[in-house]
Amino acid sequence: MEVTFRRSAALVAQTGGLRRSIAVSAAAAVNRRHFSLSSLTRPPPNYPGHVPLTTLEKAALAIGSGLMSLRDPRRGDLIAAFAEATATPYFIYRLRDAMLAHPTGRRILRDRPRITSTSLNLPYLRSLPANAVGRTYVAWLDREGVSPDTRAAVRYIDDAECAYVMQRYRECHDFYHALTGLPVYREGEVALKAFEFANTLLPMTGFSVFAAATLKPSERRRFVSIYLPWALRNGLRAKEIINVYWEEQLERDVGELRSELGVEPPPDLRAIRQREREERRRRKEEAERESGRGRAAGL
Amino acid sequence: MGTLVAARAAYVCRTCAQHFHKQLGLRRGYSSSAAQPDIYDVVCVGGGPAGLSLLTALRSNPITSHLRIALVEAQDLAKMKSWKLPRDSFSNRCSSLTPSSAMFLDRIGAWKHMERDRVQEYQEMQVWDGVTGARIEFDWAPGSTSPAGTTIAYMIENLNLTSGLLRRLEELGGVSTFDNARVEKISYGEETEELDLREWPLVHLSGGKQLAARLLVGADGANSPVRTFAGIPARGWDYGRHGVVATLELEGEGWGGANTKIAYQRFLPTGPVALLPLPGNHSTLVWSTTPSNASLLKSLSAEDFVAMVNAAFRLTPTDLEYMHTQGSGQADEYSWRLQHTKFDTWAVPQAVTGVQEGSIASFPLKLRHADTYIGERVALVGDAAHTIHPLAGQGLNQGQGDVQSLANTIEYAVSHGWDIGVAMSLEPYLSERYAANHVLLGVCDKLHKLYSVGSGPLVHLRSAGLSAVNALTPLKAFLMRQAAGNGIKVF
Repeated sequence: MEVTFRRSAALVAQTGGLRRSIAVSAAAAVNRRHFSLSSLTRPPPNYPGHVPLTTLEKAALAIGSGLMSLRDPRRGDLIAAFAEATATPYFIYRLRDAMLAHPTGRRILRDRPRITSTSLNLPYLRSLPANAVGRTYVAWLDREGVSPDTRAAVRYIDDAECAYVMQRYRECHDFYHALTGLPVYREGEVALKAFEFANTLLPMTGFSVFAAATLKPSERRRFVSIYLPWALRNGLRAKEIINVYWEEQLERDVGELRSELGVEPPPDLRAIRQREREERRRRKEEAERESGRGRAAGL
Repeated sequence: MGTLVAARAAYVCRTCAQHFHKQLGLRRGYSSSAAQPDIYDVVCVGGGPAGLSLLTALRSNPITSHLRIALVEAQDLAKMKSWKLPRDSFSNRCSSLTPSSAMFLDRIGAWKHMERDRVQEYQEMQVWDGVTGARIEFDWAPGSTSPAGTTIAYMIENLNLTSGLLRRLEELGGVSTFDNARVEKISYGEETEELDLREWPLVHLSGGKQLAARLLVGADGANSPVRTFAGIPARGWDYGRHGVVATLELEGEGWGGANTKIAYQRFLPTGPVALLPLPGNHSTLVWSTTPSNASLLKSLSAEDFVAMVNAAFRLTPTDLEYMHTQGSGQADEYSWRLQHTKFDTWAVPQAVTGVQEGSIASFPLKLRHADTYIGERVALVGDAAHTIHPLAGQGLNQGQGDVQSLANTIEYAVSHGWDIGVAMSLEPYLSERYAANHVLLGVCDKLHKLYSVGSGPLVHLRSAGLSAVNALTPLKAFLMRQAAGNGIKVF
């Protein structure tokens, strides 16, 4: 964590003006618990790892982390901090109430299960049939080269139960990739975020959709014409996916679960990209052949 | 006094003249004939709080005490009069009596006949919004004195009230009672050689008895046969809600101790839930909710029902909605949610620990208002004239207000030698009560509708309004005096 902040401080030093002061205040807010003096005035944490922040500090954290994560979308820690700082007021409570209104959601809140590489039996999941949720999930993990343990702990949400809801959302994010089949690189991630925004209404997910501006023009066109409409339609129409007890769904057929939740699979992004790449290569080869023939004719 | 009445009767009123004769033992022959109806000045159908208070008021007033009065009641009055419950057990049907209603009952001599140790006054009210938590606290500023003391209202069992009134009426005497009597029909009388009763209502009782009324009073409840006879329509609507009542036991005497009792009401999107203090560690519950929720609550075990009541004052509407879908296990659910719900322990009632066996019941809530309260030889009082949402606890007090006004109107008519039955004599009663009742019915109706909204801008607006009223001490004091019925008269 310390390393991260030093890095962000270095980044801040390079930029100037208003942005610098905001980012500094955000970093300072994050860092404050390290100062022995302020720990005297800070209220005690509501749960292990909780960092109580004032409203002003939360606002500064939101602006700072938001701007910095737009600059560098790979900064998962900043995205996480941004998500937590903007989840209150209202949004995280709405999501918590959506869970409380659903029998399974309530059970999740009661059990508070965590998803880690030890809570899930990954070798067993690999042995499941190809269409099982667990197999799809683990195949997805293997393909993308990620682990369930890469998720940061929630720190800036004051209510312990709401903090768990945010944690659960975060840990289930990988299951959402498995459910929708969207890949982890920027284009798929943006599409999934749009889906999550329509489904959970968490501000961070909506904010992340702005990262579409950083896509390549052809990717952006594809996002606007195919994946954004899919995401909004399915996100709004589907049941609250936060209420899925994934640990109990591992052996289920993924298609069956999709239709139960009301999610239709989006067009396979990898396949589309593959096709386009081949198309491009073919066209390039053709062009080369053409020019080769031309040269030959000229000679 | 006798000479005064006689002197008045001598030159004005036929009725009074009859009484004058009667007092002197000069009874006319017609009343003894079986075919002939018994003629009364006032026939009151319905022996509930409104009807009994009216008769007690008439009998206890020297000006109206000589009127010939009959009471018709379907139930056994002797049983009602001898009503008795052990000290630690309370009836589930309780009403809130404002100090002005209590003062009226005292004036007619009935208050001292109530079992006073079963009546509980309360001095404070806590009312809050179940969605936002916005709160209004009706408590008296330290050292503030009001002419009627700091009592906001008295909680009294309806049966305690009626048995007290019956005892007072027995003490006064002079009322012909026809109990265990069903009203077969009400019609107009006939013309005979001696009498023309064509414009007089005739009450036919199940035993074949007929009572002719100079003034027929309908105190016969929401489905009033008297109102039907008079052809007065009652307009309004059903709320699609039921009021669930129960007698509850709390962990203590209340946060204010035995001498400062507090009433609590929380507005949930399904309707308000109120916990009103009774003596000791008892309280009475009135929970307005949907009919399906009401039937679920009635089906629960005592332990789960208690958990639901505690939840109703503490948990979020989301939790409550979910718990109403469970067939059982609410106690377990409640103890889990309690750990994750923030509330101010001192601002909600003490925990409910038990429910009196067989005390859980429910009744449908509706709004009705009769087009008029009077007709030729007919007057309506209490529920026969209007039915109100119970959220302000004003139903019984409206009835007492009617009775007070009608008794004054009759007194005025008698002392001026008018026929008490004609519509013109009754006009002051209508003009005094109709608008006042209508405003109260409307306010409670709008409050119910305002608080039925579960989300959206209206929720924030109403919470801002409630907090503003809470902060404006003089306005709040004014409202408290109005609620207690001893403020300045506005309507």
